[in-house]
Amino acid sequence: MSRIRWGVPGATDAAAADVLLVASVAVPLIVAVALVSKGLRRHASWLLLLAPMPALLAALLVREGTALVVLSPPFRLSLALDEAGGLLLGGAAILWLAAGRFAIAFLRADPSCNRFLVWWLFTMAGSFAVFLVADLASFYLAYALVSFSAFGLVAHDDSAAARRAGSLYLSLTVLGEAFLIAAFVMLAAGTDQANPLIRDAVAAFPTSPWRGAILPLLLLGFTLKMGLFPLHIWMPLAHSVAPAPGSAALSGIVVKAGVIGLVRFLPEGLPVPGWGAALVAAGMVTAYYGVAIGLTQRHPKRALAYSTVSQMGVVGVVLGAGLETGDRAALLLAAFYALNHMLLKGSMFLAVGLASAGGRSGRRVGVAAMAMLGLGLAGLPLTGGAFAKYAIKVVPTSDAAVFLLTLSAAGTMALMLHVVLLLLRDEPKAGTSAGLVGPCVALSVIAMALPAILFQAVTGNLPSVVLSTGAFLGALWPIALGGALAALLVRLRDRIPEVPAGDLFALASRLAPAASRASDLAATVDRALGRWQVAGVAILGLVAVLSTVMIVR
Amino acid sequence: MTQDHASFLADGSGHLLLAGLPPGPLLALVIILPLAGLVPLLLAGPRVGEWAAMTLAGLGLAVATIIALQVWWSGTPAIYHLGGWRPPLGIALRADGVSSVLLVMSAAVFCGIGLFATTGRDRKTSFPPTYWMLSLCVASGLNLAFLAQDLFTLYVALELLTFAAVPLVCLEGKAAQLEAALTYLLFALLGSLLYLLGAVLIYAETGTLDIGLAGQRLAADSAMTGIALALMSAGLAAKAALFPLYLWLPPAHAGAPPAASALLSSLVIKAPIFLLLRIWLGLAPADLAERAAPVLAILGTGAILFCGLRALGQTRLKLLIAYSTAAQLGYVFLMLPLVKSSGPLTIPEALAWTGGFLHIVSHAFAKAAMFMAAGVIAEALGHDRIRALGGAAQAAPLSVAAFAIGGLSLMGLPPSGGFVAKVMLLTAAIQQGVPWIAVVVLAGGLLAGGYVLRVVVCALQRPEASATFVQISLRRQAMALVLAVAAIVLGFIPLEPMGFLLVGRP
Repeated sequence: MSRIRWGVPGATDAAAADVLLVASVAVPLIVAVALVSKGLRRHASWLLLLAPMPALLAALLVREGTALVVLSPPFRLSLALDEAGGLLLGGAAILWLAAGRFAIAFLRADPSCNRFLVWWLFTMAGSFAVFLVADLASFYLAYALVSFSAFGLVAHDDSAAARRAGSLYLSLTVLGEAFLIAAFVMLAAGTDQANPLIRDAVAAFPTSPWRGAILPLLLLGFTLKMGLFPLHIWMPLAHSVAPAPGSAALSGIVVKAGVIGLVRFLPEGLPVPGWGAALVAAGMVTAYYGVAIGLTQRHPKRALAYSTVSQMGVVGVVLGAGLETGDRAALLLAAFYALNHMLLKGSMFLAVGLASAGGRSGRRVGVAAMAMLGLGLAGLPLTGGAFAKYAIKVVPTSDAAVFLLTLSAAGTMALMLHVVLLLLRDEPKAGTSAGLVGPCVALSVIAMALPAILFQAVTGNLPSVVLSTGAFLGALWPIALGGALAALLVRLRDRIPEVPAGDLFALASRLAPAASRASDLAATVDRALGRWQVAGVAILGLVAVLSTVMIVR
Repeated sequence: MTQDHASFLADGSGHLLLAGLPPGPLLALVIILPLAGLVPLLLAGPRVGEWAAMTLAGLGLAVATIIALQVWWSGTPAIYHLGGWRPPLGIALRADGVSSVLLVMSAAVFCGIGLFATTGRDRKTSFPPTYWMLSLCVASGLNLAFLAQDLFTLYVALELLTFAAVPLVCLEGKAAQLEAALTYLLFALLGSLLYLLGAVLIYAETGTLDIGLAGQRLAADSAMTGIALALMSAGLAAKAALFPLYLWLPPAHAGAPPAASALLSSLVIKAPIFLLLRIWLGLAPADLAERAAPVLAILGTGAILFCGLRALGQTRLKLLIAYSTAAQLGYVFLMLPLVKSSGPLTIPEALAWTGGFLHIVSHAFAKAAMFMAAGVIAEALGHDRIRALGGAAQAAPLSVAAFAIGGLSLMGLPPSGGFVAKVMLLTAAIQQGVPWIAVVVLAGGLLAGGYVLRVVVCALQRPEASATFVQISLRRQAMALVLAVAAIVLGFIPLEPMGFLLVGRP
């Protein structure tokens, strides 16, 4: 496989590469701290441009696989740039840059804009770190940083819906962290180091006595972040309540922390058919489920969030197929598809924000951009999306899986048209598009083009294979089918009830009385333990039990 | 490494000043020093007394640091025989690795809490000189409990702590505080009684009160040994608020003024915990310790899960923190099935040992920070109802930050001492094939995540329109943040067994 080159390879020497990698993570953190100062806060718009720059330069200039920065103790931090990490790092830097520009204009009138920007920068630092770190403990730290900081983006609006979404997001994040720390501790225990490099820990996986437990824990932890069914419940809630640029970052970048996790941690060259098939199945179900629920939504951002669920299902299928066969190439292709989704979905949220807040002119541009991006996501020939979709078709092992994957593009097409129609149906609101149009359009253009540019470097195939008649028709029929489906649904639309966002969570909320009963029971036990008689019995019981276990043999 | 340090010391090539100090008398000094502060407090009035107390707290930290450095460099425990009399006749003070770490921990946290208490002067929350007298007694009692080697001196230390801690609970004289203090007192007395009974039986069995000598002489097959150890453990468990005997802790720790709560919840409670560990990891015959360990670990599990659940169900911030203390202390007992009570430790055992004691230390810093922060938040908002915490992040930003950062350590998220301790316990449990302990550690982390984040989320919300805030000076907010950051700094400890903590282990 040829090397991926964003820019000129070898343009920097090793020392400069090291500095760039460290700066990628450090600069956003420094800018976040700088925003505490009132004087520097006036320059926030420039600082926000500066923050993702080192990461962008690192992705463009540092040759993948060459740099490994290991900071000396007490810092347990080592950074490296591999191909998958480089793809996502570069894409994330572009999206942070454009969405940051957009956010400054979008939140112009928001009194707590500064607070949003601080969370924004912490999430940015965490996202860059998660694509770059090479050792286990730092990965956990970076993953926690991006996950917990993103809460600030989710809950920014402080409405009842945002509070509910934020709380659910945090609860599941804590749960995911518990799965991952268990897996990481077992991974590290399989090596002779306390904090091994991820690649060493993964290399030791096949011989680890705990491998039966590690893989399911990793899958649970990371697919929770990716939002695979049935762990997707937080995603539609969280991604739709954030301000538009926040949603772009959440849906575009933060979910990719789960993708990079699986790319990094799935065992290399070791086929695991059982769990691989399970991941393929979960991904496939998610791909269709996301579309199905998304089509019932009446709010464009919620429909887009369900589209993210569906697309992460597609990535899950690719990763699962790679796990089934132990094929390393599948992991890189999954990252490539994730990059495609990152930029497209980021642009879409900006377009929806532009359409809703940008007045009449903003609405025109926003709807047009949304329509174009939607076609890209569905894989219309000649768009970057077509290249990304073509690249992943080689991965699944069975024809049925390939067919289902292709067919899912029809669902994507229908869902995208649904979003456009939702946007058109809303009455245009007063507002100004100043400062919003530029970042949105620029990002959309990059999102449509970039996968085509990188295609050859990632897959090793000439771009012309995607333009052949067979590939052309193969990409076109799902789009036609999706268009027909959307036309059909327009007629039925008002008769289909809207599934409440968070679907299964809404069902699970009915369990709330049971949870409160458990809490009441605990309170009763607590009161009982507080009674003197009970306490007296407890203390004597403790003496009796302890002496019994010691005396009786 | 330790030998290098020893020769380094013997060469006199470096650390001349410290090396010249005889380590023994420092052990006595660190116990007496806080008591010296009582004189100016009684004679010179509150202003001078407070100043003297803070100076002595700083000196105490310096002496504790010197002791720890000497133990580190020499790689051997520092021992002092009072009056030159050796056990079994005399009384010995001994600082091994663990003791000296706990000395530094308690001196550092004590300084932090003391500086916080000085900022409350112009408010209702000021209470010199009584607060200072009691807290100096606490400091002395803690140091005695960490250093004393015989069961009776340890009993004296525990009593000193109890009689200093109980009035701290009811310093402001409110009815609820008096009731909480009375419950605490009764429990502590019951605990003392059982402990004393056990100690007498040990004396009858072995003819000595010195832990080291008694440990060698105790017969594992005597029923009396088992009963004695059980009585002492139950007594200490009552004082340490080990599940299910924690009922006195939440009202006592939550009802006290913030500086007192911080002292009680981060430091005072550690003395009986430390003694419980001494009994099972130093005094009890290995065979008996191995059999009792699962029982204590199960009680720890009960504490982690049940008290964690109750913390989640609290509506008042200070009660939530107090329940979290009862829950967090459970982790210490999870260490017992994972370490041998004597003989050299394997690496997984040493990891559990390091993790357990690191948990004690990082909890002290984090919990002191959280109680102080909660006190300031309550002052700023005029209440501590968790649901109505909205606006706290604007009214007292540093305090909310301190609470969140301390909470990070409780949840075991990186980078924090709590994270390192949790990873060590998890690794030890997995490597030794005791998966249920790993599951409990993880479940406890989930519960801690729940109750910490619930508070942080509420504090980040916007205030209700009608809410009014009292301005709190940055100086009063700053100390909690410093202690919370210290808990973070502990997270940079390497993820491997720490040789220093094993110095002087039986």
